[in-house]
Amino acid sequence: MQRTSVTAALALGGAALAIAPATAAARPTISMSGSTSVAPLAAKLAKGYLRARPGAASFRLAQGGSDIGVADVARGRVTIGNSSRDPKPTDPGGLVFNKIARDAICISTNRGNRLSGVSQATVRAIFGGKVRDWSQVPGSNIRGPIDVIVRTAASGTQDAFQKIFLDKTKVTSTAAQKASNGLVAQSIRSDPRAVGYVSLAFTKGLNDARYQGVGCTLRNAKSGQYLGTRNFWMVTRGPARGAAAQFIRWIQRTAAAARIIATGWVPLR
Amino acid sequence: MSVTAPPGDTVARVATERTDRRVELLLGALASAILVLIAAMIVFVFAKAWPSFSHNGLAWFGPGGNVDDQLGQIFNSPANPAAYEYTLHAWPLLYATLLTTGGAVLIGLTFALLSAVFIVEFAPPGLRRVLQPVVRLLAAVPSVIYGLIGILVIVPFVGNHLISEARRKSVAYVVQLSGTSLLVAVLILTVMITPIMIAIIVDALRTVPRSWTEGAAALGVNRWRVMWTITVRAARPAIVAAAVLATARALGEAIMLSMVSGSVGFAPNPLDGLTVLFEPVRPLAATIVDNAEGLSVKPFGQTIYAFAAILLVSSFFLSFAGWVAKQPLKRYGTRS
Repeated sequence: MQRTSVTAALALGGAALAIAPATAAARPTISMSGSTSVAPLAAKLAKGYLRARPGAASFRLAQGGSDIGVADVARGRVTIGNSSRDPKPTDPGGLVFNKIARDAICISTNRGNRLSGVSQATVRAIFGGKVRDWSQVPGSNIRGPIDVIVRTAASGTQDAFQKIFLDKTKVTSTAAQKASNGLVAQSIRSDPRAVGYVSLAFTKGLNDARYQGVGCTLRNAKSGQYLGTRNFWMVTRGPARGAAAQFIRWIQRTAAAARIIATGWVPLR
Repeated sequence: MSVTAPPGDTVARVATERTDRRVELLLGALASAILVLIAAMIVFVFAKAWPSFSHNGLAWFGPGGNVDDQLGQIFNSPANPAAYEYTLHAWPLLYATLLTTGGAVLIGLTFALLSAVFIVEFAPPGLRRVLQPVVRLLAAVPSVIYGLIGILVIVPFVGNHLISEARRKSVAYVVQLSGTSLLVAVLILTVMITPIMIAIIVDALRTVPRSWTEGAAALGVNRWRVMWTITVRAARPAIVAAAVLATARALGEAIMLSMVSGSVGFAPNPLDGLTVLFEPVRPLAATIVDNAEGLSVKPFGQTIYAFAAILLVSSFFLSFAGWVAKQPLKRYGTRS
């Protein structure tokens, strides 16, 4: 593995936050690192877990990106690696991906472009570079060249977008690649000709292009009507054991955890 | 030499010499540790980067294909180490680094030299007292702040007001012109590195002996000519040093360029005329930042380390070139 301690410093937004005061010595510690998309959910779940079972464990949560989380857990640096992408063939062997929730990916345009109801074919034509002018896109009220904004190859969101929306279509080589959800959102907000995709939590101030005519909202994602959803994973080395196993089981099985997830994501049940 | 020990007291003198010796050893060890650290860093980066270079040979530095596609393929390599993908033609990234760094240093150096001459020779004392601290303050502003201003203010302005519809359409099938561009990258980079150059050059101009300039003035030469023919000429080694330092900062600038320079591995084509200024670029350091998330994929990490190795080597060449450039200038100079 290429991962060194330098990586943690390189990873943007790699801020660590301690959730519980680690005072009791006997209390098992669950450490997590990885996806920036999963991190807000993981923090909420950890808080909820401590409320439901006070003293059951103490938590340490760091970020860094899905690949960092997978690499960290494979080397035993953390108990749980958070990942917003599905397992990949290059992942180290012996890892178990535990699904904890689903998240929606929204196709977004600038507020000045009231594009609404894009079909799968249109999305593929735009992101594949076949259609390059807004005048050729049905439902768009502006004209002029399209600015396509995507994520870098290493991003979990890019991986999910490719699988869910594009399948075999290749993203056009003229697309601008941004390093985070926030940068994509900012680029769309400041460019009337832009189109891109962001995680549901980042859609504030953007126009929802309503993939296949269904609004990209939590309600539609929960009901299953909105099709652009992806999985959130907690990765462990081998089947989860001890405190981590109890935590993951609590997330997957209890109504309390489902309620927490439902505040911004799609619970499994 | 001891001040406290009474003369003739050999015990005290020996003790003092021992203290000196200990300090010498300690400081020597610290200085050597830096050398060891640098050597270790070079070996580490090159060892990590080697597979990427050895797979591509000299083609690594050449053009060919789309560099972002190649990075994507490297990232999605199969699990089998024998089947790792390494093919990469990094020319667009190298070219972008040259363009942004070269452009910013050329513009910045001209501007810095003229400003320094003004501050030292022509500025009224009141203005000088304000200008100098402001320049030093500007030199210390973190680059991410420049990046934020760039992405929130300058990029949207360029994208929405300076790029015409016709210009956008003329290259729509090759590249998107959205405001993140070579122009903005060079502009902000220039603003970033100029204050450092001004500060260094001002200090250098000050060290030129007063008697030299007074002698020239006594012969009836005006202040502008004295400045150019004597003061600036004598300070040339320091000006080279300022340029080298600024180039190093521009070369390594990552966060700001990652935010404003376009996020596409595109090599701007000079034949496009003015449009070149609005075309996106992505220099090496920005590429490393943008792709840090994928370091854990082995061949991808090795490719990223190859970028780092190139930056490391260029900064060495830069110091060396600066040293070479200073040699013939030294005999005019007041600084060695």
